[in-house]
Amino acid sequence: MSAATALAPALPPRRSRLGLIVALLAPIALINAIGFLAPVLNLARMSFYEVEPTGAMREVYTLATWAKMVTDSFYAELIVNSVSVSLGITLLTLVCSYPIALYLHRSTGTWKTILLVLVISPLLTSAVVRTYGWIAILSDSGLVNNSLGALGLPPQRMMFNLTGVTIGLTEILMPYMILALLAGFGRLDPRIEEAASTLGAPPFTIFRRIILPLTLPGIALGCLLCFVLAVSSFITPKLLGGGRVFLLATEIYDQAIVTLNWPLAATLSILVLVIFGGALVLYTRALRAIL
Amino acid sequence: MDERPVSLTLKILAGVMFAFLLAPLIVVLPISFSGDAFMTFPPTSWSLKWYPAIFANSKMTAAFWTSLVLATVVTTISLAIALPAAYALVRLKPAGAEVLSSLFTAPLLLPTIVLGLAILIVFARLGLLATFPGLVLAHLVVTLPYALRVLTTALATLPIAVEEAASTLGASPFTVFRRITLPMMKSGLIGTTALCFLVSFDEVVLSIFMTGPRISTLPVAMYHHVEQQADPLVAALSVLLVVLSLVVVLVVDRTSGLAKTFVK
Amino acid sequence: MTDQSTAPDQGTNGTAGEGFLSIRGLTKRYAGFTAVDNFDLEVPKGELVAFLGPSGCGKTTSLRMIAGLVPATAGRIVVGGQDLTTVETHRRDMGLVFQSYALFPHMSIARNVAFGLEMRKVPKDEIARRVREAIALVHLTGKEEHKPAQLSGGQQQRVALARALVIRPSILLLDEPLSNLDAKLRDEMRNEIRDIQKSLGITAIFVTHDQGEALTMCDKVVVMNEGRLEQVGTPVDLYERPKTAFVASFVGRTNRLKAVAKDGAAEFAGQRVPAPAGLSGPVQVMIRPHRIALSPSTGSEGVTGTIARAIFSGDILQYDVDVGGQIVSVELATRGGETVLAPGTQVSLSWRPQDIFVYGAAA
Repeated sequence: MSAATALAPALPPRRSRLGLIVALLAPIALINAIGFLAPVLNLARMSFYEVEPTGAMREVYTLATWAKMVTDSFYAELIVNSVSVSLGITLLTLVCSYPIALYLHRSTGTWKTILLVLVISPLLTSAVVRTYGWIAILSDSGLVNNSLGALGLPPQRMMFNLTGVTIGLTEILMPYMILALLAGFGRLDPRIEEAASTLGAPPFTIFRRIILPLTLPGIALGCLLCFVLAVSSFITPKLLGGGRVFLLATEIYDQAIVTLNWPLAATLSILVLVIFGGALVLYTRALRAIL
Repeated sequence: MDERPVSLTLKILAGVMFAFLLAPLIVVLPISFSGDAFMTFPPTSWSLKWYPAIFANSKMTAAFWTSLVLATVVTTISLAIALPAAYALVRLKPAGAEVLSSLFTAPLLLPTIVLGLAILIVFARLGLLATFPGLVLAHLVVTLPYALRVLTTALATLPIAVEEAASTLGASPFTVFRRITLPMMKSGLIGTTALCFLVSFDEVVLSIFMTGPRISTLPVAMYHHVEQQADPLVAALSVLLVVLSLVVVLVVDRTSGLAKTFVK
Repeated sequence: MTDQSTAPDQGTNGTAGEGFLSIRGLTKRYAGFTAVDNFDLEVPKGELVAFLGPSGCGKTTSLRMIAGLVPATAGRIVVGGQDLTTVETHRRDMGLVFQSYALFPHMSIARNVAFGLEMRKVPKDEIARRVREAIALVHLTGKEEHKPAQLSGGQQQRVALARALVIRPSILLLDEPLSNLDAKLRDEMRNEIRDIQKSLGITAIFVTHDQGEALTMCDKVVVMNEGRLEQVGTPVDLYERPKTAFVASFVGRTNRLKAVAKDGAAEFAGQRVPAPAGLSGPVQVMIRPHRIALSPSTGSEGVTGTIARAIFSGDILQYDVDVGGQIVSVELATRGGETVLAPGTQVSLSWRPQDIFVYGAAA
């Protein structure tokens, strides 16, 4: 930055204030423009570029790549597959996270802090490390199959297929779900449960009729977050799927880095954003229905 | 507050789920002490050889240094850019401040795979691919929104009367910022530093698009290593990284309170 | 008692009428509403002036404009002959005590008090001396190295006061300084602030919504309502000669009664009271509860009514009397030995003509 940003008291306050604001915001605006706005707009344009049969890209606009999305059944399948797998993982994540979140909500003091650290710490560990841990558990010579062998049972194929990807991604996404659920549990006043109890409701009825409805907004938020993350994650599907599980995110990576078909990768990316938009609309509708 | 009884069913369910959540991190520890040439669990023999092996692996050590310098540079620049921006947005309240702050935090809403591809295409044309400045710029795109969010929250929750008091006592706006605002934002600054450092150090998706044979970050090097051979080397490395994360978390917790920094 | 070294350096008092602080046409407009409307005020040197009014009346905005924390839309602020209207806050030389105290949480008490002197580049040994004196003035000697969070609310308030006074400001501004304290402490601090202000001879403005504070502490009271100045006067002026219905009802307690005015008189419950010329139609008649005399009804004299409720609260015996469908509260100081009249008892009420005020009815 130049010396021109030095405060000049002689200027009328309004002018100097505007100048100061511009000077303070310029760096972040610049990085946002170069690293975010320009690339994303360029991406949308790229999806309309022509790709020659040789694989070379020409700056000629065409709808060919978009037409392929409709005509080539591989891509239709890819989209359906990605969405349904992500939905399944989201539901599984919810089921696994809910007990932890409820337990955390009810615990107090140091114990609560310890549990919270345990929930947050996986978030601070690279997805590569955690996926590696799952390889150690799920691979042919891993914990599960070695245990099965020790019991005299036949080995199970748990990696390089959808099972492995589902287990790994579910665990990876759990911290996000737990934190979203916890944020939504604020409305859960223990006195409401006590009131229900004094009115004669047994524990499971209290859960079904009181706790669950009150925590629905947190559930909706967590599901939105995890679905979005599941559709776009590719480290875990790549390593645990071993190139045999085809999802939108892994396909984008392959097209961008391996095949170098950027228009196709760009088109798939835009599709991911469209799916996001759809999820967001569904979330807003669901939230309106709940509240 | 009185202790509320937690039903046994919930305790058991939560316990099982916690075990599931922490399983991949826990298994890494014994594997790192494996004496086998490839990964089996449980290991058939034990040794400490994989820890020195990390330091003998030139790819990993180079990638580690790249990551360390990268994270430090990215964190420093993030603070230097986000702090003035947060001050402008919160204290000077320009017209459209809310629109601007949504624009500046928008990169967080975009899936990193899409952002990575978008940056790849533009940076390729600018000759920034597989260069250190390119990596710095790419990481800034994701660390700045985090930094801006934490710092604007920290600034917005400061009682403005304290700054006004300093001003009535004769302190110029810059002196108020340096002597009053900045010291009072201490925990927000520590949180931002830790968050930016960890986000940059652990970032893998953007980096995969941005790295090449010439330059690689540690997570990317580990990813490619695991892709080819899942030997206990990565386990040993993972243990070191988990320890590093824990140290950062503990430092943050000691200085500013963990829950305050990461949970809203 | 008076420590000469902490007294302001300014010379003799300005002449009457020409204020030390002079505010002319001060106005603050925000999009859609006017917070302060054409505010004029002259404050002589050494006076303690209260800005009194309900929340949202513009009193705090006026104070903040004087301090330079809010830019004025129009008008002038002149202190000691110097126009400060466009001068930045940090060059105005005013001491402001905040409602929330606004102490610097990361600095010790001594550092808090020293801050303004450091900004003025006062030599180190003089800072040490003046900080010591200021802390002694507010009875906090021994707490110098404590952090604000280690002190009680009342002690923090004293630090805020010392911090504002140590710079020898041209004007001391106090923004609801007592509202965060409990009742007992509030009374104590009232006297203390008043004593310090008088002993230093400093000009001060005291913003409050508590009419008790304004009346007991201040030389002059400025009553504000909805951005406008209602009346300026001494506490006695305001209480005995309220110019508007708002002042009459906001300062002290009063009965507000509906009446009809015609030909220079208002008729209320069969009795005619003189009303300002020009008033006709529905009007408000106000009279303070303790200025009404009450006697068992003999049928003929004054206004008659029926006791609806009797409330005994030790020093005061209050009767709510139903007069022609309107409730009139009457307060009698107890002397001991009186019998509390039962509800339903017929009584007659009387008052001196100067105790009754008539205003046009609120729209």
